[in-house]
Amino acid sequence: MLLAQLLISGIQTGLLYALTAAGFALIFGATRIFHFAHGAAYALAGYGFVFAVRAGWSWPLAALLATVLAVGFGLFMDAFVYRPIQRHTGSFFTVFVAAFGVVIVVQSGIEIGFGRAFVAVTSPLTRASAVLPGLYLARAFWIALAAAGVLFGALGLFLARTRTGIALRALAENPDLLRAYGLSARRLSALAFALGSALAVPGAVLGAATTGLSPSVASHVMLVSLAASVVGGIGSLRGAAAGGLVLGIAENLVVSVLDTQWSEAAGFVVLFAFILFRPRGIFGAALAR
Amino acid sequence: MTAYLLNLAQLAAIFGLLAASLNVLVGYGGIFSVAHAVFFGFGAYAGAQIALNVTPDVLLVSAAGGLVAGVLSLALALPALRVRGEYFVVASLGLQMVATTAFTEAEPVTGGLGGLVGIPPPQLLGFSLASPWAFLAVCLAALFGGLAVMRLLMRGSFGRSLMALRDSESAAEAFGKNVALLKTLAVALGCTIAGVAGGLFALQMAFVNVESFTLDQSVLVLAMVIVGGTGTLAGPLVGTLLLLLLPAALSFLPGIPPTEIGAVQQAIYGLAMALLMIFRPAGLAGRAQGKR
Repeated sequence: MLLAQLLISGIQTGLLYALTAAGFALIFGATRIFHFAHGAAYALAGYGFVFAVRAGWSWPLAALLATVLAVGFGLFMDAFVYRPIQRHTGSFFTVFVAAFGVVIVVQSGIEIGFGRAFVAVTSPLTRASAVLPGLYLARAFWIALAAAGVLFGALGLFLARTRTGIALRALAENPDLLRAYGLSARRLSALAFALGSALAVPGAVLGAATTGLSPSVASHVMLVSLAASVVGGIGSLRGAAAGGLVLGIAENLVVSVLDTQWSEAAGFVVLFAFILFRPRGIFGAALAR
Repeated sequence: MTAYLLNLAQLAAIFGLLAASLNVLVGYGGIFSVAHAVFFGFGAYAGAQIALNVTPDVLLVSAAGGLVAGVLSLALALPALRVRGEYFVVASLGLQMVATTAFTEAEPVTGGLGGLVGIPPPQLLGFSLASPWAFLAVCLAALFGGLAVMRLLMRGSFGRSLMALRDSESAAEAFGKNVALLKTLAVALGCTIAGVAGGLFALQMAFVNVESFTLDQSVLVLAMVIVGGTGTLAGPLVGTLLLLLLPAALSFLPGIPPTEIGAVQQAIYGLAMALLMIFRPAGLAGRAQGKR
């Protein structure tokens, strides 16, 4: 029963990781920018939500504020950090260092504003009820499941059926041809950043309402989305989602064998193994070495 | 006050050596490691164990640190041979996270969160180095010795091949360079020197614990190299001085509560990293319009 319980909580964590990682993959797929600061969008959304709830806002309004913060951050990074850098060098390391710098700024800003300790909003969502003897399910699980189902379904439809969605996929495949067809690569990349950052919101809001947030969540989420994308295959949305699910489950299942301190490291052992033995991931196409 | 300044100077020399060793990987080899604190840590733990159980002789301690870090650098060389670019950064991030957990959990060797305490004052061939001036001299000697070795190697055939590799791996391969060997040697060299710095660090602090070898530390060292300028000899030193003096300078500024100094300092160097990358990617000591 313990195993089933761990599996359930693994799926809950994994679904939220999957959404966040899919946001990262969407941005990378469309713009070829390794958005290392994706975790900062998550942190901003989560802390914005906590702030709003504490100020007495209703939950939907607070979630809206979280979305606005995440999307605004994504657009800011695109317009004021990545684009100026790509104008002169475009070396990936320059992009990485700049994004990492922004993560540090966000993280220490949160530390100054909210302190180093965990913050959370109290909610009835974590109250678990027994579905089977010894097996407990909290309402947060169903919300995570519903959010992941709805958002992945909507995203899939959007990318497959709408003109804008098809243009986004075209941007990933051939930006020059896209420009030749008279579409604006700049506007599409801004859209990718907005959508991708918004995908971090459900994880952030549910994280704030269940496990709580700490300032280091920005780097933790960044690592998780990177790891999920690599495990799944970089740039593949489906891969990132699968990778996120695998990581979430691995983190929780490892608790049945080892101490809880190892749960984060377990994800990275999986990641390390993938990089050594199958760098292109589960769904990845051929890798440019 | 003098004691404080001496302490700062010793740390500056040690971190200067550490930053210079990372520069071999990042600046000359194009191997963008964010796991350098891991090898600093291996060196510090190995050095601390030697100092506690055998002798606190500086030469032996730093040799042990360098040896352990150099051998274990294979853990970083393996992914460096398999992948590059973003993938390697991610791999080294993963290594850093796993190593932090391992440092915390391997209590018999590392003392866990409590760390290793009571490292005896350093000696050199039987002479005591308990005086801060003497130990500062040793640290400076290690710094300049390390810099001389790196300068020699980077000016020679090894360094030039390495830089060719950094600029274009396929071109270097076409010229008959042994890419795998060059990368492995560059990683081993950088990590060995980081291990030596770690050994000195253990003696300097007389106490080591996992807090000094986390991702934050790796990023700080990386920031030192980048702020100063990658691929130059002076760059890492300039960066080290700036980033080490920053918290000291901040503590003299009025208006910042002492509990927030850490966070304010982090925010400043994060901002500095981002702004430098946008406006001057070659770093302060680098060429303004470098080729890359």
